[in-house]
Order: sequence, then C-alpha cells, then structure tokens
Amino acid sequence: MVFYLKHTCHAALLALGLLAGSHALAGGPPPKYPVADIPGSLRENAHAVVRLSDETLLVKSAGRTIETVRRAITILDEAGAHHAQELVYYDQLSSVSYLRGSAYAADGRLLRTLKASEIGDISLSDGFSLASDGRGRVADLRQPVYPYTVEFEYEVNSTNTLFYSTWQPQAQEQLSVEQATFRVLTPTELPLRYQERDLPAGTAAARTSVSAALQRYEWQVRNLAAVEQEPDGPPVGETTPVVFTAPTQFEVQGHVGTFTTWQALGLWNYQLNAGRDELPPAVQEKIRALVQGETDERARIRKVYEWLQANTRYISVQLGIGGWQTYPATSVAATGYGDCKALTNYCQALLKTAGITGYSALVRANKEDIRTEFPSQQFNHVVLCVPLQKSAKPDTVWLECTNQTNPFGYMSSFTGNRHALLVTPQGGRMVRTPQYTAADNRRERLADVYLDAQGSATATIRTRRSGLEQDDYEGMAGSRNLADQKKALAEHLPLANFSISKLSYTQDRRAAVPVITETLGLTLPGWASVSGRRAFVTPNLLSRWHALPATVGERRTPIWLENAFSYADTVRIHVPAGFKPENLPAPVQLSTAFGTYSSQVQAQADGTLLYVRRLLMPRTRFPRTEYPAYQDFRRRISAADKAQIVLLKTDA
Amino acid sequence: MKGIRLQLSLLGLCLLLACAALAQKAPALPIRFGSVVPADFFGMPTATDTAASVAEYLCDYGTTKIVGGSAQFQAVFERTTRLRIHRKAGYRYATVKVPLYTSNGRYERFSNLKGYTYNLQDGRISQAKLNSEDLYREQLDKDHIQVSFTMPDVREGSILEFTYTITSDFIFNLQDWQFEHSIPVRWSEYRVTLPQFYAYKTIIRGHLPFAVKEELTVPYSTMVSASTGAYATPQQERISALALQLRWAMKDVPAFRAEPFLTTPHDYMRSVHFELAGTNFSGRNYEDLTGKWPTLWKMLEEDNEFGKALSSPAPLAAEAAALRLKYPEQKARAAAVLALVQSAAQYNNHAALFASQPLRRTVERRLGNAADINLLLVQTLRAAGLPATPLLLSTRSHGQMQTLVPAISQFNYVAAHILLPDNTDLLLDATEPELPAGMLPERCLNGQALLADAAGRWLTIRPAARHTELRTARLRLTEHGSLEGSLKLEYAGYAGLAARRQIRQGSSSDYLAGLQRQWPDWDASKPHLLLPDSIQHPVAVELALHMPSSTTQASQLYLALLSSLGTIPYTFRPEVRSYPVNLGMPHEYVSLVTLTLPKGTTVQEMPASLSLMLPEGSGRFQYSVSQPTPETVQMMARMQLNKAEYSPAEYAALRELHQRAAAKCAEMLVLSRK
Repeated sequence: MVFYLKHTCHAALLALGLLAGSHALAGGPPPKYPVADIPGSLRENAHAVVRLSDETLLVKSAGRTIETVRRAITILDEAGAHHAQELVYYDQLSSVSYLRGSAYAADGRLLRTLKASEIGDISLSDGFSLASDGRGRVADLRQPVYPYTVEFEYEVNSTNTLFYSTWQPQAQEQLSVEQATFRVLTPTELPLRYQERDLPAGTAAARTSVSAALQRYEWQVRNLAAVEQEPDGPPVGETTPVVFTAPTQFEVQGHVGTFTTWQALGLWNYQLNAGRDELPPAVQEKIRALVQGETDERARIRKVYEWLQANTRYISVQLGIGGWQTYPATSVAATGYGDCKALTNYCQALLKTAGITGYSALVRANKEDIRTEFPSQQFNHVVLCVPLQKSAKPDTVWLECTNQTNPFGYMSSFTGNRHALLVTPQGGRMVRTPQYTAADNRRERLADVYLDAQGSATATIRTRRSGLEQDDYEGMAGSRNLADQKKALAEHLPLANFSISKLSYTQDRRAAVPVITETLGLTLPGWASVSGRRAFVTPNLLSRWHALPATVGERRTPIWLENAFSYADTVRIHVPAGFKPENLPAPVQLSTAFGTYSSQVQAQADGTLLYVRRLLMPRTRFPRTEYPAYQDFRRRISAADKAQIVLLKTDA
Repeated sequence: MKGIRLQLSLLGLCLLLACAALAQKAPALPIRFGSVVPADFFGMPTATDTAASVAEYLCDYGTTKIVGGSAQFQAVFERTTRLRIHRKAGYRYATVKVPLYTSNGRYERFSNLKGYTYNLQDGRISQAKLNSEDLYREQLDKDHIQVSFTMPDVREGSILEFTYTITSDFIFNLQDWQFEHSIPVRWSEYRVTLPQFYAYKTIIRGHLPFAVKEELTVPYSTMVSASTGAYATPQQERISALALQLRWAMKDVPAFRAEPFLTTPHDYMRSVHFELAGTNFSGRNYEDLTGKWPTLWKMLEEDNEFGKALSSPAPLAAEAAALRLKYPEQKARAAAVLALVQSAAQYNNHAALFASQPLRRTVERRLGNAADINLLLVQTLRAAGLPATPLLLSTRSHGQMQTLVPAISQFNYVAAHILLPDNTDLLLDATEPELPAGMLPERCLNGQALLADAAGRWLTIRPAARHTELRTARLRLTEHGSLEGSLKLEYAGYAGLAARRQIRQGSSSDYLAGLQRQWPDWDASKPHLLLPDSIQHPVAVELALHMPSSTTQASQLYLALLSSLGTIPYTFRPEVRSYPVNLGMPHEYVSLVTLTLPKGTTVQEMPASLSLMLPEGSGRFQYSVSQPTPETVQMMARMQLNKAEYSPAEYAALRELHQRAAAKCAEMLVLSRK
C-alpha cells in the first residue's frame, strides 16, 4: 500500500542502487582546487570561477566525433550555484559515454563523488514540440556551504557531424576563468575549419602534427576576469573569447557533404530535401483553381500564401535527421501541419503548382545574425524566398510559412534585418532578408485628454504602429478577444490609476510593412494632481522614457540597440473652465549622433494645450566610447518627458 | 478557509450501500463519439466578434470504472471530448498531451485512441481521421511518460473529437477531472463507478456551481482472475455486487482567467480528486486504509521514506548530543539544531512529503528535497532531546487543504514542530539558510497543517511576521532648487527574508544596482548595505539621493516627494475581482520624509492630512504633513494591510484605499522662493 501512495505524492524516487563503500581513505587524496589559490582579480565581481576547463574534440571520421570535457568550477556564492548542476545533452544521433562529478571543500578536501544512481536522465522536451528527441543526463552537486568546487567529467559520442564544438569558456556574466584549454584532434585528410573571436592577444591556435595521419589544434586562455552584461549592450556571449569550429566533410545518417563554402552547404541542404515536394492531385487541383485568372505575379503568390495560412498550422517535430530534413509535402497535405522545414517545403510545392519558383532560405531567427565569413551550420529556421520573375525591377517576396497570421511578405524582427542562405539547385547563395528602417518602424500617437476641475480626465488615443513597432501587438490584435486584450494592455500602460472604456485594433496589411491602429478610451481618475488653486499635469501621457542607470567604471562594450524607429506623439489637453495655464514647460530640442528629440507645449487659440513630442532613432550601433554621450541624451530626454504643466484656478 | 469552497464526502461504507435502493437507470450519455452534425457548427463566432474565445469545449466527458483484472483491480478511465476551434490562436487545443505514470512494473496504459476533425464546407461535413500511429511517446524521467497527439486538418471553425482510454494499475488515486479551463466549456461531466468494496474520499476544489451532482447505487459485476500457483490455470470468477455511481456536471462554464495574488489557480478552478479510504471485501470487515488518521499515521510511520527514515540511526547524533549539553533551554537548543541542519544540507527546490534518500545520504550528499531536509531536522531535534514532530502541509502553489478527513495526496511538504514546555507550538524549517526558529518560508503560509503523530492535530499556520518596509528620507532643498539627501530603506519580517534571499541568490552588488534603478526620478548613488547577522533585525540600505532642479528660475516649486519615492507599492488595476486577494501575510509600508528648506523659501501650500480605514480595521492608510520649524517639513505616509487574505467582497474597498492613497501621495507641496 505504501507503494500506491507514491503515485501522486512521491514521484521521482526509488532505486537507490549502488551503495558504494566510504570513499574517505586514511590520509585521503591530495587536496584539489583549493580556493585560496584563486587570484584576487578573478574573484572580483564573480559568482563562480572556472578553475580548469579541458575540452577535447576527437574527430574519428567524417561521420563520428568524440567530445571529452573535464571542468572544475569554484562556486563562490548562491548566485553561482547553478554551475554546480550539469546537464549533458544527447539525442538519437549522440550518446553520453559517462558523466562523473565530485565536490571539493574550500580547502581542496574531497567532499564526495557522485554515485551512478545520482545521475538523472530527463527529457528536454521544449513544451511546444509535439515530439523531440532531445534528452539530458543531469547531475547536481550543490552544497550548503560556500565556497566549494565541483568537478565534472563527461564524454559525448556523436554521429551528427553537422555541428562541431563551439568553445566558449566564459559564456556567462559574472564568471571568471583561471585556465581553459580546447583541443581538436582530427585526421590529416579532414582538416579543421575554425574561426576565432575576441581571443586575448597571443592566443592563436597551436597546430601540430601528432603523426602523419593526425593533426592537433590547441587553444588556451588564462585569467579571464569576470564581465557583466551592460545596459543596451551586446549579450555577454557576443563579447567573450570564442572559437567556432566546423568540419570540412561530414556525414549524417548516410548523407555526406562538405562545408567549405556556403555554396556547398546549400547544395547539401538542397539534395537532402530534394524530391520531397510532390503534391497529391487534389491539392494541385485546388491551387490551380485558386490562381486561375490571376495574372499578377505578386497576387498569385499572396493567394497561395493565404491558402497555406488558412489550411495548415505549425507543429514542431524534431527527431534525428528530421531536424534537418523535411517531411514530404504529401504528409503536410494529409495532416495539415508541419514544422518550419515541412511548411516551407509545402509552400514551395504549392507555388510550383501555381507556376512560381521559390527557394527555401536558411536563417538564424530571433538571435544574433550568422557569421557570414565562416560557412557552417549556424541556422535554426527556414523561410521561403520568392524572387519575382516578371517584375520590372528586381523584387523579392519573403514568406514566413510557420505563422498562420503573419502579414504577407513581412519578416518581422524574427527574421528581418539579417542574412539568409538561399538553397538552390546550384547550391547555397548568401542574401539579405528585408531591412526595416526608422521610416518603416513608426509609432504615431494622437491623444485628446479632457480634464475636469477635480483633476480627473478622460482620454481618447489613437496609436498607429508600423513595421517592427507593431510586432508585439500582432498577436494581441489578431487573435485575442476584447477581455484578454484589455487585460494584456492594462499590464503595460504606464499609468497608476485608469480604466479602459474602449479598445479596438485594426490591421492594415496592404503595404510592404504592416500597420496596426489601436483606438483606446481611458478614464483617468486623479490624472492631474490638484493642490489648492493649482493643478499639475504631465502632458506626456504614455510615452515617458526613463534615464539609464548610473554606470560604475568604464563602459566595456559597444552600444547595441534593438532597432531603428521613429515616434511622434501629439496630445491635446482640453483644460476645464476656470483654469488657465500658469506655467508651460520650455521647449526642448536635442540633436545628437544617436537621434533627434523634441518636445514642446503650446497654448492654442481655442484654449487647449497642444503637446508635441518627436523622437527619431535611425541607427542602432555605436562604439563603446560614445556611451557617456548616449547616457546624457537619455537623461535629457527623461528630464524633458517628465516636465509638468501648472494650471491655475482663475478667480471666476 | 474563506473564499475557497472545498467539499468532502467520505463515501458510505458498503454495508450502508447494500441497504440503499438501486437506481432505476443510468442517466443518458452526454456525448456519443462520431455523432457530429451540422448543427454543432451553428453559432460559430464571426471574424469580427470581439467577445469570442479562441476555442471552446462543446462537451468533455470522462468516466472511471474499477474493474477486475488478473491478480489486481484496475481503474479504467475513458475520455471523449468534442471542441471547436474559433481562432488560429486556439490551434494549441488541437494538441493533447497525456501524462502517464509507471512504477516497479505497474503501469498506466494509454489505448483506444480515435479522433476526427470535422470541417463544414458548403453545408457538407468533411472529416479527417487521426492516424493513431501519429502518437508520440516520451519518457520524461524514470517514472513518467507523456503521450502526445495532434489532430489533422485543423482550421478556424473545425470541430475536433477524440476519445482515449487509460487503464491504470494504481487504484489508490483515480484520475482527476478538471471541469474548468482557460477556454469556455459548454458541458463537462465526470462519472465514477466505485464498487462497494472500495471506499474513496473525494476532494472537490473550485467555486462555480455544478449543474448535476448526484450519487446513485447501481448493480456492479466484473470478472477477476486469480492464479493459485505458478503453473495453475488462472481461475476466472465473476464478482457481482453493488456500486456507487457518482456524477458531476457543469454547464456553460466561462473561461478561467488567473488574477494576481492567488495562491494557485487550481484552488479556484473546479476539479475533483480521489483517494482510497478503505476496503471491505468480505462485506463485514471494513479495512480502513487512509480514511481515518490512525491508519494513515500507521502507514506513514512504517514508510521507509517517512517514519522509518526518522527511526534510522541519526547521522547528526553526535552534534545533536553536544548541543543538548550546551543548550539546556529548549528554544535555544531548537534554534541551534536548526542552524546545524541548515548548514548540513542544501535544499534542491523540490517540495516533497517523502524522503528521496536515506537521511544519512542527505548528510553525505549535503543536498536534498524538503522532506529529506526537514525529516533530518525532526530526527536531529529528537536526538537533541526535543519532542519534535513532522508537520504535514501543502505549499501555496500546491493549493489549499480541506481538514475534515486527511487525504495524503493533499500534502506535498513537510516541516517540523516542537511543543515547548509552556505548551506553545514552535514551527521550524531548515530548507532556507537564514530562516529563524518559529518562522516558516512564504511557500508554507497556506492555512492549515497537520501534525504527523498518533493524535494527528491540525494547527493553523499564522505568519510569524509581517512584510514590513520602512523608508526614511532626509532631504535638503538647495538654493538652486535641486534636492539632495539620503534615503534609508529598511526591510523587516518577510520583507527582510525576501531581501536576504535576493542578496544571497544574486549578490549584494546586483541587489543594490536593482534598488538604484527603482527610482526613475532620482539619481541614487553610493548604496550601502547593512546586513545584520540575525534576521530579527531588518536589512537596511542607505542611498544618497539627488534630483536636479527642473525649473531654476521659477518662484514657485512643486514637490510630490512621497509619490516620487514610490510609497504605495501596488495599485489594484482591475476593477472587479472574482477570487480572494491572498497576500500570504499582513503588509505594512511606511515612508517618512524630512525636508529642509533654504533661507528665503517658504511653504505656500501643504496637502491636508488624511486617514482612511477599511471596515473592521482590516486595512488603513495614514498621511500627514507638518512644519515643526519654519525651515523643515515632515511628511509621513503609512499603509497597513492587516489581513493575509481579502475576499472578493472586500476588493472594491481595498482597491479604493490604494487609489486614494496613491492620489494623496501625488499631491504637491508648494514652496515659494524669493
């Protein structure tokens, strides 16, 4: 009966397995990794210190690699404790030969060694995939007393040679590195391809011949001080030392290819997926009927795309080679769903039926762009690229096939503004996806605020967002019901006390970038603060910007902003009878390398007050040395944005 | 237990059942698989219907029956579901994931999956069949499997229908049923047939009304096979008896929307759960399994991962004996033992009622779940001569409890209890390094807890402290109109505990940097942290504040200091609330500002003082401004929330209190300069 109890209350237990004897031998082993040996400079600003990291990639053949890792990390405080947990990934194409771990006290005394029964095996199901073969061997060596050191050793045997190791000993912030080594051993006929970035001076690869048949490459770094993520800066992983490696030749489940050029990589992809575009006659019939009589090329593509959106949906299935090879078009035709490869392949097949040629285009979505100078498998997504044949000037339609509500031809921040590798029968070709500039990414707001003598107000606000500015509103405008829209919006409005009296969204998808217009009605109890004879109003109703936090020490990294944009706000304040403005904020005009800003309030002839604010930020990247000036720009905007109007009661 | 309605019925024993009259006939089935007709498509929302949900369950029907099998009874659960997809955003309801449990050669088996997607085109229904081979099976961990399937040919306006069976070797807990979902449900019904020889406790959560709630006595018959020896042919035998048929249904259930300050949405969504209470196979001898506390206790006491773990040799016995000599006074000794266990093992953030390993292994690994650590605490307290008892409870995220009859599945956590010589209760928890004796972590502040000993006494967990924040600002207005000075922030009680945790889990520099960003109107610099050794003293942070002058020339200055220092921590934005506001513990926020004026600056207008009170003193806001000397102005604002939970009926007043307080804090102090 005890057993039954555990059904719900008592899940992941049992199997205590090997009860090994005590490891505390008389005298014990010599101490390892004593914390006292860590240089003070590496403890500064660090939650953990990599004491030793030793990674070896052994290329057995074009189709098999063995990765061996030994890593010791001293955990200085609880914020570094996640480094005491290890997860080693594996899937259908790889296996973990072993995972071992030990913990050491601050003085280097061995505290304990993990028992085999303490290594877990979990599914790394991402929650949204219908099926995924990703799994992890996991170990936990967290200790209650800081500091302590953990040492993990593992080996991964892989038959997926599309990916070689990326060596980045300092991938996270507030982690310092005492010593890290990366070694690649590869047969002479399979030379290593690699790219180094941000390595400390003098850390170039050491290449030696182990034998006539075996080459050895080695990198080593020492004493990397901890770094921190800085506001409006690149992710830490984009700024610390890294060596990317890639095969020259690879073989995955019998599919052989080379990676020396983008052309070759694209060709391999083409061949892997070729011949999977056959459609059932019934579907072909539907598509022919759909585009019949439509002569305009773009209109034909749109019709096919909209049919795809109405009749398919995205379901992720990532199993083995299926991570790179598409399901056949017939499968999507039968079930109405597929992942990014399957839906892109399906759309390509539908267009082919309509007499239009499209190419799948590999991209790295939602992350930093790929490194174009280093041909290798860096992609995580695929879209469809359709060059127009009959257009007078060169023109291309880009299609995101996994999203059932995405505007036709629009790439959004997910896949826009980056490189893509076109997969053609002749091989790969590097192209750019559409650029969205400040002229595309606009937010234009018109508000009328009716203030009463008690300080409460009602407002009607029309906000037109286009391009990347509308991305976050797309899901809300398209598919949520009014109650959910109100709830989501209420969480984002920068107001203390309000209620939403009206809310609606309209979408316009006719132009190259989509537009969403939001019409909002608000009641604002106590919007103006009334004290005695005066009322105080901040005319910047919804668009206040805050200053950046004060910096400590010198700026380390360049400025990386999300995207270029332009904002325009116009707020008309209808002053209640019996009040007149006593004091209006002085106009502000800022013109800097980062952008231009202006705001001003003017009393109008009809008694209303008109607040106009403009902010244009056309560029997104600036050098590190510009940061103080950028901070000053932000501080001045913040000061101008909180300026108040003072209204005085007239003695009427 | 305010605000949550838990009901419990210990099902009648079989003897009573046998006397009950048999029901005439079973109620009609709410759904027949495969019977979708064009009428089911009626009322599909139009594209512009802003009130439409993304999808809707038309009918969700489940049954559980206990049937005989070979050597053991099994629970057979069948579910048939029909739903409509209204919007593309509702496509996710076309994918179904079913968790299954396995343990020691016993299983939950998934079978009989059938499904069709129906689409209405030109007045005709087309159907697409779910290929039952497209069923994905994933081993989540050693004991848990997940099967997933997704429906074919799904579009806006599709009707989906699927049915499947789970046959379970585990009859201790039957399948739960959830009536309420994040999309509306037109009809949801669950029927459970329990033969007279099994008695179950049913636990019902949630608060919307049932359309049907009935118990019928029906005839029951099943085949069992029992083998008498390894080579003997199993003997088939028919058992005929009576059974209790329970039926619940809900009609037109609106979509559930989570609100802030809830313990867990599961406390408020309608659901029903089962736990085996006892058996009576002979018709004469009812054997209580968990229906009464003494049998439940006996089982816990003998469980290797609970009682037996406690009675095994204590790995910290030597240290405990030393503390016993050192601290003759019980309370001091308990605190010393708590500190010992806190530093002996790290909590792995898994709430648990049962130990995952022998207690000596927890000491060896220095890592464990809540039961590993707190059972070790109980054991070590006992070894130090203290009368310690495990305290069973349910964490806030696990949901609130009923207390009429104990059900083991309701608990997911164990803490420790000592009855002190003066007959007071002392509660302890060793999962957090800085928690003092007498204080439980926030996750445990969830109403009731049960002492795991022969008597099985329930006790109410009262928060040992408030969440208290105090801000003291000393500011000086310069002749140029800028403000300079210092701000001291103090966090006491649960606020102090949270601050300590944040500092521990991040770092003091991250914590201070976070605080500096908290005041967008101010330049906050030179943060200085005062972290006393004992949590009895507040965590304090001192900051230098500076606000540059915005209007250098003006003859009048307007300051809303309390508002710019963020005196009112939250406003309750939604206008209405369906569920209680559960804060866990009483809260108090106090801000004090002393402003010194330069020569020649005088106070022209001061906001009026204000005092607001919620009914029965359950909350209070006080505000005052005074001018003790011509050069100084003192401002004070204090918000007190004296209850841990406010009912939906109290919400409007709570919201108004906050909004009026925020408006008051935004009122200007008007200064005049020469």
